[in-house]
Amino acid sequence: MVRVSRVLLRDARVGINKTLSEILVCPLSKQPLRVCEESGSLISDAIGVSYPVVDGIPSLVPKDGKILATDDIEKPDSDVALDSANKEYPSVGQSLSTDALFFCKSKWKITVN
Amino acid sequence: MASLHFLLRPSSNPNPLALPSRSRPVRCANERQALFSRIAPVYDNLNDFLSLGQHRIWKRMAVSWSRAKRGDDVLDLCCGSGDLAFLLSERVGSDGKVIGFDFSREQLLVASSRQHLLLKACYKNIEWIEGDATKLPFSDCSFDAITMGYGLRNVLDRCKAMQEMFRVLKPGSRVSILDFNKSSKPFITSIQGWMIDNVVVPVATGYGLADEYAYLKSSVQEFLTGKELEKLALETGFSDAKHYEIGGGIMGNLVAKR
Repeated sequence: MVRVSRVLLRDARVGINKTLSEILVCPLSKQPLRVCEESGSLISDAIGVSYPVVDGIPSLVPKDGKILATDDIEKPDSDVALDSANKEYPSVGQSLSTDALFFCKSKWKITVN
Repeated sequence: MASLHFLLRPSSNPNPLALPSRSRPVRCANERQALFSRIAPVYDNLNDFLSLGQHRIWKRMAVSWSRAKRGDDVLDLCCGSGDLAFLLSERVGSDGKVIGFDFSREQLLVASSRQHLLLKACYKNIEWIEGDATKLPFSDCSFDAITMGYGLRNVLDRCKAMQEMFRVLKPGSRVSILDFNKSSKPFITSIQGWMIDNVVVPVATGYGLADEYAYLKSSVQEFLTGKELEKLALETGFSDAKHYEIGGGIMGNLVAKR
């Protein structure tokens, strides 16, 4: 009997494999993450935060997350990626504390400009 | 002595990346992260030398207690340079998956380099993730086993870390937490202190890391005893918790079942 190993498809541009990207969630909201191939990051649409992938290692440290502008959230990958690549956003750690930001955005749907 | 970690307490240190002196405890998460990043290049060598290779045996015991088996999805928290992750990888095989998780990118880069150098086919099932042990980026009930080697003692909010471990464990699965044993026996405490003062720190001094390793004694003293660890696990919600003393009582391993 042939045992079939799990096939880990690596996205060369983002640098993480497909299986890994499917099991990861946002460390703050615990909601699924979306792979943004253009910016090489993992996007949490639930709270509008982007987490970088560097050298194939996802950095899911809450304080290192970048807050996305409202119009970048829930957009198709290409649009979000272009905006994310061209703009500099405050990090989650530099603006509101990570937990406060998550609380505000989830409770009152505050828009981050 | 085996791998060395340092306890941090909440602080108002204005210069979190400054080299801590022996008179000032290592505080805040940033200092701790910087500390582990500084020792990353010599971490493995010092572990081997200071423990005379014994840490390898203790880590194998920790993996065995986790009950990880072929095909499992497992998580190694505070993975450092990957010792436990590599052992788990051999145990779960290519049908399983190992996540090595740490807050130090430098340690993860060492782990990743070792993974590529070691060339074993099963090691391809390991993925490395940088993150916070108190805010795990995994869904509930994701893992068949969790290991944590010399990590819990260094997490600021141990309760939160235990809660997160409980959350991401599948029901009926185990977490195996290896660390220095905070012994209630004065003799063991004396031995630990003597070895740190007279072996660990002098050796670390040769690497220019005396201060980084000098905090081990206080961090062990401020850690929880085996009974306290069992209590913490049960209060977190684990259905069973047992702490085993190993290495002559110098080390300990908590096994908790969800």
